Amino acid sequence: MQRVFNWFTPKRETWLFRVNPALKFIVFFAFLIITLVNQSLPFAISQAILYGILFYIFSGYSLKKLLLLSIPLVISFLSTGLTMLLFGKGETVLWQWGLLKISEESIQHALLLGSKSLSFGFVGFTFILTIQPVLFFYAMMQQFRLPSKYAYSFIAAFRLIPAVTEELQIRRNALKVRNIQFSKGFRGIYERLQSYTVPLFAQSIRRAQRIAVAMEAKQYQMGAARTYYYPTRYTGVDMVFLLVMICSLSSAFLLSIYR
Amino acid sequence: MKKLKFTDLLITIMIGVVFGVLMKFWDDLYTVVKPIMPVARQLLYGMWFMVGPFAFLLLRKPGTAFIASIAGASLSAFAGHGIEVLMYGFAQGLAAELLFAAFRYRRYSILIAGLAGVASCLASFGLDLIYGYAALETWALIVKYGLRAISAFIFTGIFAVFIVKALEATGVTSLIRPVDKKEYTMLDQ
Amino acid sequence: MNNISVTDLRLKFPGEDALVFKDLSFSVQSGEKVLMLGPSGCGKSTLLQVLSGIIPNSIELPMKATSIQLPDSWGFVFQDPDTQFCMTYVDEELAFVLENLQVQREEMAPRIEEVLKRVDLHLIDAHTPINEMSQGMKQRLALASVLLLEPDVLFLDEPSALLDPEGTQQIWTSIKEATADKTVIIVEHKIDLIADWVDRVVLFNDHGVILADGSPADIFANFQEELKRYGIWYPGVWEEYKTSDAFQLMMLNRQVVSSQEKIHIEDFHGYRGLVEKISAKHATVQAGDWITIVGENGSGKSTLLLSLMQLLRTNGVYEVNGVAIVWKKKKRQLPKGLSLVFQNPELQFVTNSITEELTVSLHGMPKADADMYAKELMRLFNLPDSVSRHPYQLSTGQKRRLSVATALTPSTDILLLDEPTFGQDARNTFAILEKLEQLRTKGMTILMVTHDTEIVENFATAVWTVVDGVVHTANGVGGAKSV
Ligand SMILES: Nc1ncnc2c1ncn2[C@@H]1O[C@H](COP(=O)(O)OP(=O)(O)OP(=O)(O)O)[C@@H](O)[C@H]1O
Ligand SMILES: Nc1ncnc2c1ncn2[C@@H]1O[C@H](COP(=O)(O)OP(=O)(O)OP(=O)(O)O)[C@@H](O)[C@H]1O
Ligand SMILES: [Mg+2]
Ligand SMILES: [Mg+2]
Repeated sequence: MQRVFNWFTPKRETWLFRVNPALKFIVFFAFLIITLVNQSLPFAISQAILYGILFYIFSGYSLKKLLLLSIPLVISFLSTGLTMLLFGKGETVLWQWGLLKISEESIQHALLLGSKSLSFGFVGFTFILTIQPVLFFYAMMQQFRLPSKYAYSFIAAFRLIPAVTEELQIRRNALKVRNIQFSKGFRGIYERLQSYTVPLFAQSIRRAQRIAVAMEAKQYQMGAARTYYYPTRYTGVDMVFLLVMICSLSSAFLLSIYR
Repeated sequence: MKKLKFTDLLITIMIGVVFGVLMKFWDDLYTVVKPIMPVARQLLYGMWFMVGPFAFLLLRKPGTAFIASIAGASLSAFAGHGIEVLMYGFAQGLAAELLFAAFRYRRYSILIAGLAGVASCLASFGLDLIYGYAALETWALIVKYGLRAISAFIFTGIFAVFIVKALEATGVTSLIRPVDKKEYTMLDQ
Repeated sequence: MNNISVTDLRLKFPGEDALVFKDLSFSVQSGEKVLMLGPSGCGKSTLLQVLSGIIPNSIELPMKATSIQLPDSWGFVFQDPDTQFCMTYVDEELAFVLENLQVQREEMAPRIEEVLKRVDLHLIDAHTPINEMSQGMKQRLALASVLLLEPDVLFLDEPSALLDPEGTQQIWTSIKEATADKTVIIVEHKIDLIADWVDRVVLFNDHGVILADGSPADIFANFQEELKRYGIWYPGVWEEYKTSDAFQLMMLNRQVVSSQEKIHIEDFHGYRGLVEKISAKHATVQAGDWITIVGENGSGKSTLLLSLMQLLRTNGVYEVNGVAIVWKKKKRQLPKGLSLVFQNPELQFVTNSITEELTVSLHGMPKADADMYAKELMRLFNLPDSVSRHPYQLSTGQKRRLSVATALTPSTDILLLDEPTFGQDARNTFAILEKLEQLRTKGMTILMVTHDTEIVENFATAVWTVVDGVVHTANGVGGAKSV
């Protein structure tokens, strides 16, 4: 089973790895929506802590990798928080300097946003770190009736990613070697975009088309019944997973109410 | 308008995935610019809205904007942005798709493509609103999302249309678009 | 099982003026084995795709026909082994076929194992990444998927172009066994093993018109003239070529060009990732040498060329023109004077048109001269003279020739060629070989991977054999004419 990037190989496979990937996806996604719509600061903080535990203890990766992954999380915590802190709405002003203004409300809001983006990061990473894309798509087909045409298109397209990144590198080198200069401003951005994307897309489209044709030549038919090489089903772990997740979310909620 | 064939679908998803990879690289640039120049940062934001309209301009078939947008978001998700980008991909793709649908999928001009980008921008604003990003001072809100909308128009309207034109020159679009009637009459030579 | 037929087919590519087929009619009885022969670029691959329904069902091209009868159950082996797989691993790819056929999961593993044996693809574990296989191994895998399908009709587009001689034999044996009562339509240039097996040979000229259609005996006996005129392979073509004046003259002038040392290798190793995939104890190459590199599929021939080009990590002593080459990860510089033609021609292309492709590395040459130069190469390598055509919009054989032509820049003095003649008709094969020989007599050094024993016997000055990642040099052996 291949992960999108080789780097994503865990130190040990925790119980999270054995949860049905499609179920894991649905549950995590539901949690993200709860995070998204929640406006209560205490609940947001306790959620962030909960997902942090999931990420740091149960993802099965070495601390080094986890810390490396935490860097963007911290950055996004700071950047979303800071913008809100300095430019946020608020009546009870604590400090002001020109356009910059810190108020009680903006502090609250900054913390809320910061915790939310931490939660997003923790859940997102925990999911990515503990699934294998191919198995995920197989599970989506079998447990949630995702039409096979989408699943295999994704699998085939993901398979071509190394080729795409390689080509991007080659292109980068080629442009360097030939000493191509770009203009300034939006024109330069366009030139840059164009010189990278045009050959890349031309190539990828051709490749994708040929692969689609080859798949149909292998008697793949959209919508036809099929069997599955990788069986994915619900097991005891899934029950445990559901219970654990629901219990922790409820306790996070209760904690935030009865502090 | 024709339904999507399997080839179209795979190509659409491939476009989304390639955009996902590009956005990963773009992200590097974006992260560098982010803290130092807040204005430039908003002006670069339009790239995130480009994938859907671009796919539609290329294939000219219903559904492509929406599917490509989700595919791009999925790759971003797998490449480490977290699954919440899926929500954004969903909303932005849907908005662009609806805009093209409103013109019966028959308009491919800079204006319409640009508007699709602005529609995506609006959709992402909606999500931001729920999330809480939007609780800024009104002036900051207008500057931030105003710049973003302008950038959306530039990227999805102007840039996307020109890149698709450049791709047409390589002949690749003739493989994937419905064949022109004129081509059939040329068979009777 | 039904017959396949098409009447009055007209077809063109969008944006092109000329028709590929004009009123072509063709039919195949069920159970027949048909071999299509024709010069490169005449439309053989396109016709196979029409007969299977890929055109226009999956690829829409402007076409029409008064009637067309397609097969219900068919399999297709495509010409390009790099773009016919959708999954990452060998077992997943074959399982994908079985899933389409709704085979139960328990039966999958044994059937995968069995079919891999049948195409002689020996892997330690079927769960091997497809990306890490050699081109020939991929071609075997493509065939394996089709054998799993067990279709009534097989379309084979040069299924053995990249296989070693033993593999070619093996593949045809399994195809013959598996398809005794099936319809098989083949496009192939290497025809020695099947010329007697097929029921029918169909001969095309370079405008996609059927010249002749009959039993192999009939065609090879009565249409010698046409076969020769259009440069098509037929049994005995090499014997004939060897008696030709052009060849004789060439062989008369085969003196040793120089004794200047171009490449020197001592204890050289090349790696794919962390794994050593090729090694050579000691080897030297002199100016004007024509070294052919032979070996089984997957033995490491391409890896050797990539290592010499410094596209893979290497270590050991390696000198080009007396300059020591040391592998660098960053700021890598490719050795001067060396030029590589990849096994997959598409990897070679960097521009958007044929002319540009030929002129892009002619730094400093005035535009008019560069265009002349490109025109000359296009004529020599029989490439379509189209201003706007993208290099990808060519037939496989044409792509191959274009990729070889791009490497012949004036600044090159050592050519590394990875199977430059695969998928070529006879005329173009000889044209390429003659051009290379002409360059060689002027001092060009050639290292060329090939599976074609005739080329080895008639053109090589030395043969290197690669066995399981080890290069065995035997200067003089096999290179009969090295004086
Ligand atoms: N996308 C395209 N656009 C325009 N012309 C094309 C395109 N693809 C192929 N052609 C042209 O159509 C002709 C037929 O191509 P085809 O691939 O069928 O040739 P072929 O007989 O299989 O040749 P080969 O033996 O080299 O594989 C060629 O002359 C080629 O240049
Ligand atoms: N990208 C890769 N990563 C890892 N291993 C590879 C890769 N490509 C090839 N290999 C392995 O390296 C070995 C040599 O492959 P190579 O492509 O050099 O063979 P070859 O002699 O050129 O074969 P062919 O005649 O089929 O082209 C094979 O065992 C192959 O599985
Ligand atoms: Mg062909
Ligand atoms: Mg090889």
